[in-house]
Amino acid sequence: MYKARTAWLFLIPTGVLLLTFSIIPAVAALGLSFTNYNVFQPIEWVGIENFSRAFSDDDFWNALWNTFYYWILVTPALIVIPVFLAILVNQQLMGIKVYRLIFYFPALVSVVVTAILWTWMFKSDGLFNAALHSIGINPVDWLTDKFTAMPSLAIVTVWQGLGYYMLFYLAGLQSVSKDLYEAAELDGAGFWAKHIYITFPSLKPIIFFVTVVSTMSAFKEFTLMLTMTAGGPIGSTTTLVYMIFEKAFTDLEMGYASAVSTILFVIILILTLINKRALDTTQQ
Amino acid sequence: MELKTAELQPKIQVKKSRKLSLKHRRNILRWGVSYTLLTILAVVTIMPFLWTVSTSLKGQNETIFSYPPNFTPENFTFENFVTVWNTLNLPLYLWNSVVLSFWGVILPLFFCSLAAFPLARMNFKGKNLVFMIILATMMIPGEVTMIPVYLTISKLGLIGTYSGVILPGVVSAFAIFLMRQAFISIPKELDESAIIDGANAWQIWWHILLPMVKPMLATLAILKFIGAWNNFLWPLLILEDSSMYPLTVGLYELKGTFVSNTRLIAAGALIALIPILIVFIAFQSYFIKSAYSSAVKG
Repeated sequence: MYKARTAWLFLIPTGVLLLTFSIIPAVAALGLSFTNYNVFQPIEWVGIENFSRAFSDDDFWNALWNTFYYWILVTPALIVIPVFLAILVNQQLMGIKVYRLIFYFPALVSVVVTAILWTWMFKSDGLFNAALHSIGINPVDWLTDKFTAMPSLAIVTVWQGLGYYMLFYLAGLQSVSKDLYEAAELDGAGFWAKHIYITFPSLKPIIFFVTVVSTMSAFKEFTLMLTMTAGGPIGSTTTLVYMIFEKAFTDLEMGYASAVSTILFVIILILTLINKRALDTTQQ
Repeated sequence: MELKTAELQPKIQVKKSRKLSLKHRRNILRWGVSYTLLTILAVVTIMPFLWTVSTSLKGQNETIFSYPPNFTPENFTFENFVTVWNTLNLPLYLWNSVVLSFWGVILPLFFCSLAAFPLARMNFKGKNLVFMIILATMMIPGEVTMIPVYLTISKLGLIGTYSGVILPGVVSAFAIFLMRQAFISIPKELDESAIIDGANAWQIWWHILLPMVKPMLATLAILKFIGAWNNFLWPLLILEDSSMYPLTVGLYELKGTFVSNTRLIAAGALIALIPILIVFIAFQSYFIKSAYSSAVKG
């Protein structure tokens, strides 16, 4: 019906952009990892030097640890809590749509505005400490203490993500047949029985989807650290991407930063494959 | 079999009538618990916004951080909005965000639906390979390619330009995938009859197919608008002249320079939120749809 030439004509403009800004850069990132490129000096091949430097660099291990720590803080919460939130807003209640909108809204707020709002919440005389004060607990230096800085950022991420993931679960819940619940009710099933035997099994694909998406975004997060804590205090919120950003654009060590990007890519790839394996085995 | 159900019928009837009143009581309890939980969660969710709104309306001599926290401004004033509007280049930042968002929506819609058309409706050698390569790029996180993309933009001489900010985000595999799904669902006979009527591929795409996928285009447009309006990293990296900053980068700088003037920053942050809020309320149903199409179908 259509000529092959026509097909390619339609594909070329988009293909050029995809090559320029995605495929070639991916290859280039790998290539740069083996060089000492630093903007000023001519580019030079250094073999695996950047990688061996990374593995003996305390900053790298710190950033790697922080990335996993942040992931463990946010991802389980973002997988579990939105399920219950979705069940809550999936009821036929008056004004339920308004609640859905309220819960979803934080997902749309830019990172800069989020950082502004939450820096105030966490201030030494901010709302969080006022709440603690009212129950007789001493104020906490949320963002300026190396032990509480990362958990504080995790709270912000969970606040922002709950409604977002709730929407996916809600879409899943609405495709579950109502007959199943009615049949279960006739058999005398209560709240928990209904959800354990009907809701959770039918949400399985979405739980995996949310796991993958929230894991990916946890491993890539750094603008929150950039805008709220600047990676501090004493590097306690420096994640891998934050380290890449700093090494590349502040220290201009593009070669070394690329090597860390490559390591990050491998980690993300492994996690994705594990997730995919898990999904395939449960669906069999 | 039929006999059995007939026998059972009266028993069920009896059970139902007794259950109704029980069910009614249970429903009231459920509503009570649900509304209480929902309201507590909603208040927690909007707490940071409430606090910011109250701060932005407080007068110069009022305390902002106090114990117990005070949510109602005593010297109610819009002065902070006026000040931030007049002194901090806010109209300029707003306009820059509008320009960046406009191109950040139009270009992705155009290019992604352009590529989706042959992938959905044409047969040619290498089609599956091309589609697989496009899908594979979804696996490459933008953060990993940040450095080479920056170097490419710099080699193209686009540092300090809006093209440099917009171009890296124009094509996304996910958008191509969504548009392809939309095009596939249109019957093939439409193209055939159009070709017989003498239409070429471009005309079919522009005049027949695109108008038919408007709902998907709208969904994508909203997603792209939110992304472009909130885009922070690329403008921060690429733009040099502060008169070209969008609202996000402008606010980020503001946060640094006016650290002491909480009221002004609160007003600025709220002004940045208003467009998002309007789009969100006006197109709420599309957000649900976009979640549905990415989680359930995708």
